[in-house]
Amino acid sequence: MWAYVVRRLLWMIPTFLGILVINFAVLRMQGPSLSRELTKATGGESGEMNAKLVSSGVEAYLVRFRTTGLDLPALVNLRGFIGKDEVAAWLRETERGPGVDDAARDRREKELWMAGRFLVAPLAAVLADDALAKLHGPASMALSLCAFYPLHRGELERMAADEARARGERNQALKGLRIAYANDRGDGFRTTDPEAQAKRTAAVEFAARHAAAFAAPGDRWRAILGETGFTLFLRQLATGELWSTERQQYVFSLIADRWQTSFGLNLLAILIAWMVSIPLGVRAARRVGSLEERASGSALFLLWSLPSFFVGTLLLHHLCTDHPGSTALFPNRGLSSPDSLWYSTPAYLADLAWHAALPLLVLCYGSFTALSRYMRASVLDQMSSDYVRTARAKGVSEDAVVWRHATRNSLITMITLGSELLAALFGGSIIVEYIFSIDGLGRLLLEAARSQDAPLVMGSTVISVGLLLVSILVADLLYAVADPRIRARYA
Amino acid sequence: MPETAPASPLALALRRFASRRGAQLGIALCAAFALVALYAPLLASDVAIVWWDDAGFRLPLLADLFNRRSYPKHHDLLFSVAGLLLPAIATGWWLLRRRWSASRRVLAAAGLVLCGWLLAMLPLLPDGRGGWQAVWSDRPSSACTAEAARASGAWTIFPLVPHRYDAAYAGAVLKPPGTVNPASGRGFLLGTDQVGFDVFARMAFGTRISLTIGLLATGIALAIGTVIGALSGYLGGWVDLVLQRLVEIMMCFPTFILVLVVVAMLGRDIFIITWVLGLTGWAGAARLVRGEFLAQSGRDYVLACRAAGLPAARIMFRHVLPNCMTPLLISATFGVAGSVGLESGLAFIGLGDANVPSWGMLLNQGRENIAFGWLIWVPGLAVFLLVMSLNMVGNGLREALDPKASP
Repeated sequence: MWAYVVRRLLWMIPTFLGILVINFAVLRMQGPSLSRELTKATGGESGEMNAKLVSSGVEAYLVRFRTTGLDLPALVNLRGFIGKDEVAAWLRETERGPGVDDAARDRREKELWMAGRFLVAPLAAVLADDALAKLHGPASMALSLCAFYPLHRGELERMAADEARARGERNQALKGLRIAYANDRGDGFRTTDPEAQAKRTAAVEFAARHAAAFAAPGDRWRAILGETGFTLFLRQLATGELWSTERQQYVFSLIADRWQTSFGLNLLAILIAWMVSIPLGVRAARRVGSLEERASGSALFLLWSLPSFFVGTLLLHHLCTDHPGSTALFPNRGLSSPDSLWYSTPAYLADLAWHAALPLLVLCYGSFTALSRYMRASVLDQMSSDYVRTARAKGVSEDAVVWRHATRNSLITMITLGSELLAALFGGSIIVEYIFSIDGLGRLLLEAARSQDAPLVMGSTVISVGLLLVSILVADLLYAVADPRIRARYA
Repeated sequence: MPETAPASPLALALRRFASRRGAQLGIALCAAFALVALYAPLLASDVAIVWWDDAGFRLPLLADLFNRRSYPKHHDLLFSVAGLLLPAIATGWWLLRRRWSASRRVLAAAGLVLCGWLLAMLPLLPDGRGGWQAVWSDRPSSACTAEAARASGAWTIFPLVPHRYDAAYAGAVLKPPGTVNPASGRGFLLGTDQVGFDVFARMAFGTRISLTIGLLATGIALAIGTVIGALSGYLGGWVDLVLQRLVEIMMCFPTFILVLVVVAMLGRDIFIITWVLGLTGWAGAARLVRGEFLAQSGRDYVLACRAAGLPAARIMFRHVLPNCMTPLLISATFGVAGSVGLESGLAFIGLGDANVPSWGMLLNQGRENIAFGWLIWVPGLAVFLLVMSLNMVGNGLREALDPKASP
């Protein structure tokens, strides 16, 4: 038995990893749109590069990049090996001029700004070099952004007060290091700042003072695989540090408030689906070919084709909305009345049942057809087997043959079907929660996806899928409990 | 006893299929939806079909079909071309019924439509300024509208509803079915939505969206699933192991969540939605094809092919795959139904393409304006009927093709 459990658990690892990878890949793909936002914020297309305009917008977007790891390379980070010459060449690529492709230039510039801590030292080296005076303006700009590491509330809570203050001051000081410059199509980079020399020395000094904070000696080797978008995502997932910038809250605390609602609804829906479709299937199997069986089969077929969003909206329209001349029979939103906290327990449960009745109906009706069909086929299969003939020959009553022998053996298939059903239900509960305004995981995921809140989407997807995998595991275990052949194989 | 022509098992099964009442009903409904999609402009357009005045006899709608300003999307052009070619295809189908096999005729028809589609996009016509322009290009909007007809007194035939699907009519927000539109003098057959669009016109053109996405997404999914399933079943070994893990991942991942996340992140465009539905929906087909390949690959004819030294790809796709067509056909029908439902569901939760009329989007408006019943019943029933008819066809195919189920 234990061998079976371990085997199932091991099989789940690649599945779960694969899901993480798919999730990560999808969220990585939205990169270009964020880069567009950054361009919009910096007025990048307007020609004249204006340091004042940039300073108002870029940090706000950098916060989003830094907290989600979108500023890091996806899988391999080689930024620690960029030296002074490479950075100088990179800076020259961001210069406007005749015949320069503006879109490519802009992209390279944004990439440089997001390149992060490893570029602070080489950029300072460019600033210290008198021969590269032309590049000092953009280098100081890039340095101030590469050195910018925002703190979100979670990090602030864990940090010592003076350390947090030091970090805040460091971020503040960065703005003062920017040398104003122009980047024209005509003559490229041109420093326009009267205080350029003072800012330049300050920037070099800043980089020297914080050298260890930005790139300690062995860091660049560790960063190759350790400081990438994917590892940051995994670390944040494992430590629960996924942070939703949109909602200013930890992703997992948002999920913790809501997952029980969805999980409970789905579990109840499965139980109801089993309780309805098992008797239906058995009944159909006993009356094969009768008018009743064919009628119920057709009715179930129609039910199966009914889209749940149509049924849900229809119920909302006819039963949950006040029309002229009639009042609503059911509430139209949520799972409990606003003042239900003050109800006695029976009243509270009654209130809950009143609220949950229609959402549950919409969630589970779609599974009746498939489940009862499988049940019917399975019972029919069992009825022609030898042990049923033996039981009949012994003189066991027909009811006992069907319910005690055939049905019990058919239930095993029902268990495995239950786990497949759950996957469908998880998707379906998004629609149901949306229609009936229930604050569950599905609605959270939907809202996160609509507002492109990447960390929240990742977190809630991973949790939904995790819950699903656990349920599949439970179903597998139940399967082993119910079927002695499996236990025997792994004994 | 009449002489019966020798027929393949598939042909026999298709004959069995055609004699079932449920399947007949499903086919009829599907055909009705297809006709609505093909001839949607005849049902709802503000341009006259026939216009006869002193200047002569004209067919303004025919010209308008190839006006890129009126129908900017590629799928609209494809449906217009297919609609115009349909009589020719039907005639050819009937004339060649004894000479060409059904699959050859299907391929020829598809090729004809695609050629017409491409031709309409090639610069073939002189544009009057010395250059060339495509048949399908930007022109001034047609002047032959309902208002112009009333003013000029020309003899005209108009579409069933003289309203455009993408025109918001002034003062026509959330009007119930039957309300008269002062702009055209005709009624809104199925009411209007919250923007002032004619629901009937949007429903007619929404059929095109549902069918396009349903068919294309299923096609993509089947192609991927077939290749992966074939490789996995035929090659076996570690290829099979790896691909089966991939299939397991796709099976475990709740498709709707995946589609929702991808569409929300990459953009709400019908092109993206179609590809996402296709790229996420192949797991079932892969499993099916793998099973069939496992069953077939030990057969004598496969061994004979191998002994003859045929390359693996040729054995897989020329010899084994045709034997797996029946389960694939069934799964394709259910797949289209599933894709149609998924697309409507996506549009319903607000993740559809806002630039095209979609049934799910209308239903979502019904949810937002919950007191207005026609916004719920009309699109909901349409999705239900299309999904149901496709399921009926799939069911009929399964019963006809499954040797166990047939009497």
